[in-house]
Amino acid sequence: MGISLSKLTEKTNIWPWLLLAPLGIYMLIFFVVPLAEVAIMSFTEPKVSLANYQKFLTGALYQRVFLNTFMTAAFVTLCCLLVGYPLAYLMAHSKPRTAMLILLLVTMSFWTSFLVRTYAWMVLLGNNGPLIAFLQMIGFDKPPQVLFTRFSSTLAMVHILAPYMIMNIYTVMKKIDPALIRSAESLGARGWSLFRHIYLPLTAPGIANGSVLVFVICLGFYVTPVLLGSPREQMIAGLIGHQIEEFLAFGLGSAMAMILLVVTLIILTIYHRRFGLDKLWG
Amino acid sequence: MTGMKTFLMPDRRRFLKTAGAAITASLAAPYVVRAQEKILYVNTWGGPWEAAAKTHLINPFTAETGIQVKTVSPVSFAKLAQQVKTGTYEFDVTTLGGGELVRANQAGIIENLKEPYKGGLFENGVASHAFATVMAWRTDKYKDSPKTWADFWNVEKFPGGRSLQRYASRVIPIALLADGVAVKDLYPLDVDRAFKSLDRIKPHIRVWWTAGAQSTQILRDGEIDMIGIWHGRYFEAEKAGAPVAMTWNQGEIERAYWVVAKKTPNLENARKFVEFATSAKPLAGFSKAADYGALNPASNQFVAAADAKRMPTSPDNYKQTFEQDMVNFGIDPAELAERFEEWVAS
Repeated sequence: MGISLSKLTEKTNIWPWLLLAPLGIYMLIFFVVPLAEVAIMSFTEPKVSLANYQKFLTGALYQRVFLNTFMTAAFVTLCCLLVGYPLAYLMAHSKPRTAMLILLLVTMSFWTSFLVRTYAWMVLLGNNGPLIAFLQMIGFDKPPQVLFTRFSSTLAMVHILAPYMIMNIYTVMKKIDPALIRSAESLGARGWSLFRHIYLPLTAPGIANGSVLVFVICLGFYVTPVLLGSPREQMIAGLIGHQIEEFLAFGLGSAMAMILLVVTLIILTIYHRRFGLDKLWG
Repeated sequence: MTGMKTFLMPDRRRFLKTAGAAITASLAAPYVVRAQEKILYVNTWGGPWEAAAKTHLINPFTAETGIQVKTVSPVSFAKLAQQVKTGTYEFDVTTLGGGELVRANQAGIIENLKEPYKGGLFENGVASHAFATVMAWRTDKYKDSPKTWADFWNVEKFPGGRSLQRYASRVIPIALLADGVAVKDLYPLDVDRAFKSLDRIKPHIRVWWTAGAQSTQILRDGEIDMIGIWHGRYFEAEKAGAPVAMTWNQGEIERAYWVVAKKTPNLENARKFVEFATSAKPLAGFSKAADYGALNPASNQFVAAADAKRMPTSPDNYKQTFEQDMVNFGIDPAELAERFEEWVAS
């Protein structure tokens, strides 16, 4: 009986693959093929050589921008987690109506264009904006400069990316069986200990999922840090864009894109070894 | 019978070929259709630029020639290059700046054009309109008006926050003028001297602006007190009622050129459009509407005196300005940009 059943499932197993085929073909044509082309270009433009990679490795600018990109992404991810975790907790443990309201507030920022939000921050944090006016009101004679600093760009990026973190943690928290918490309590776990040993490990998949998502999306940012941040905050995506749009240096641009891709994959692999990437998908 | 057989039961290779062709055809449908319709595709910057182009260039062109025109935005230099490489044309004509034009002509990605008016042809681009990077400041901050880029650099006499564009080939000539180099000695650029000059102003630059809208906003809201800004963007801040002023003196003029994509299937119509768009009256209307200066001298007769005051190319303003010289630039712009970015971030 058991054998025939497994044979049956083996036979029907072709269907999921057939259903996947349109998507697979789509991804092949519009993702894998262009990506391969980018990889090839990085070695062949303007002529067949390793010159593009050599230029990347010898130019101090590229390496510093590259490092800055990863540091920024890591820091923004951390901030999103610190902001997002308590908020997700609040949502998961309040009445459905309240949870809906918070959810609405969190996702509302998705309704406005990314660029509009960036300009809105410029108005809010600027010299004539409400924040500086407030600081002056409470007695700052010379309010500190807020706009065009690392603080303002980080604030804006966290605002844009936090919803991804919150949604991921929230869905995991909602799935936690209250019985587990109750039994932990009945066994004497309280406060920090309950959180550290029971709740936090149960929400780990949400944290991992949200962090990877925020980190990877943040790697591709460049408009927000350049518009709101200090002059030092150049991101690698901006440099790649410059090479291609302004100087038609498709080879160097492609090489930088490939290095970004490979380094990101390496980080994800290490992460997978350490935590198990499959955990991400529930 | 064999014919019947191949038709009904095609062999595998033929099937793949047909299927492949069918897929390619359906993917390429928009382009195939447009090739048959002979619609001319014009690449624009979108927004107010496109609105001005439609009113003064595109609609009158269609009315006169019967050639249908559609627009594609935004302007992309990289796409122009890729079109020629792939043979798939999204647009037939576009505009380029001087530096890009020289690179495009060297790379052979634009068609040969003939001179439509005297002095109008350069590196296979037809000079259309110009904009200037000018000095502007807050009048609520300074009683005396700064007059030169040397004043912009003079933070003792004019204390306050500064802003320049994060764009190497535009900033370097300005830095040399600020250091006392005369306009006639500007090119080829003395890059080392320029960076020494930039070192002096760097601590006072609060923002290296990167987008036009951003430059208007920081001047209008007083985030900075003095700025090097495109003249059209300055007039937006002035129109918004901000206490600001500007000077044409030492304004840095750059030209925009119409070009035709190499090997476009619409070559004849594309050439006709470029000729029309740079003729006296349409160009005058477009330049006024989009806040540019017309480069065809014949356009000046169609520009009212009040509008001429706002144009970098009107005779009174033009004599105070200087032009970017991309031919005698003295350094590869890509190399310069790399050094500049490294300098900004350090």
